[in-house]
Amino acid sequence: MQLFTMFISAMLINNIILSKFLGMCPFMGVSTRLENAVGMGVAVIFVIFGASVLSWFLYYYVLVPLHLEYMELICFILLIAAFVQFVEMFIKKNSPGLYKQLGIYLPLITTNCAVLYVAQDNITQGYNLLETMVNSVAVPAGFMLMLCIFACIRERLQGNDVPKAFEGNPIAFIIAAIMAVAFTSLSGLV
Amino acid sequence: MKALLAVLIIAVLFGLNVWLYRANKKTPVPAGCENLRPECNACGIRDCAMRGQFTSGGKEDNHGNH
Repeated sequence: MQLFTMFISAMLINNIILSKFLGMCPFMGVSTRLENAVGMGVAVIFVIFGASVLSWFLYYYVLVPLHLEYMELICFILLIAAFVQFVEMFIKKNSPGLYKQLGIYLPLITTNCAVLYVAQDNITQGYNLLETMVNSVAVPAGFMLMLCIFACIRERLQGNDVPKAFEGNPIAFIIAAIMAVAFTSLSGLV
Repeated sequence: MKALLAVLIIAVLFGLNVWLYRANKKTPVPAGCENLRPECNACGIRDCAMRGQFTSGGKEDNHGNH
């Protein structure tokens, strides 16, 4: 039950985009079409989960025994970059179909600050491995949910008559702000 | 001793990064995926590392960001 509460909280209430304002670059850039949003969302879930679990092991099995906890930031950055390179190479070699769908989004994810946030959050909150795994699925799931909702809204907006001054990103930011206000009402859910 | 260990860990991770980067570059792209381009309209961040990939023929596919 506690894990379920944690999942809902990380996915909806403390949504990484609408309450933490992280990962805004892909949120604005890759949300023009639902198809792209789904591809990016799946890739983000995969990378955040893998990178967070690896970071957890690195922290508790290497840095803590050696009393080098202060190096977590630099180590996590290098680990995430290496993991993304490995995943891209693995998919290229073993699954061309998957590469066609996700491959183009993988380099984008390296620059997504949400990946580093989740890896560090798991450590600062003192989560165990199971809690880390749940949090590392819930946060990117929330990211994907927002990305898909936002992409649907933007697809519908394309046919609408938006004032010249609001065309493009300005109207997108206004929509994101309204979405953030709407999602604050979920704060009493858990 | 601790400082040496810290440097060693950074060196290992950095070496791993370089090795994986080079291995990834050498891995051939699957057939039909040579010209994949993310349909990112960019977000207005001028120094984005990925921005160059979203431009075609020097003309940016960007709306309302100047």
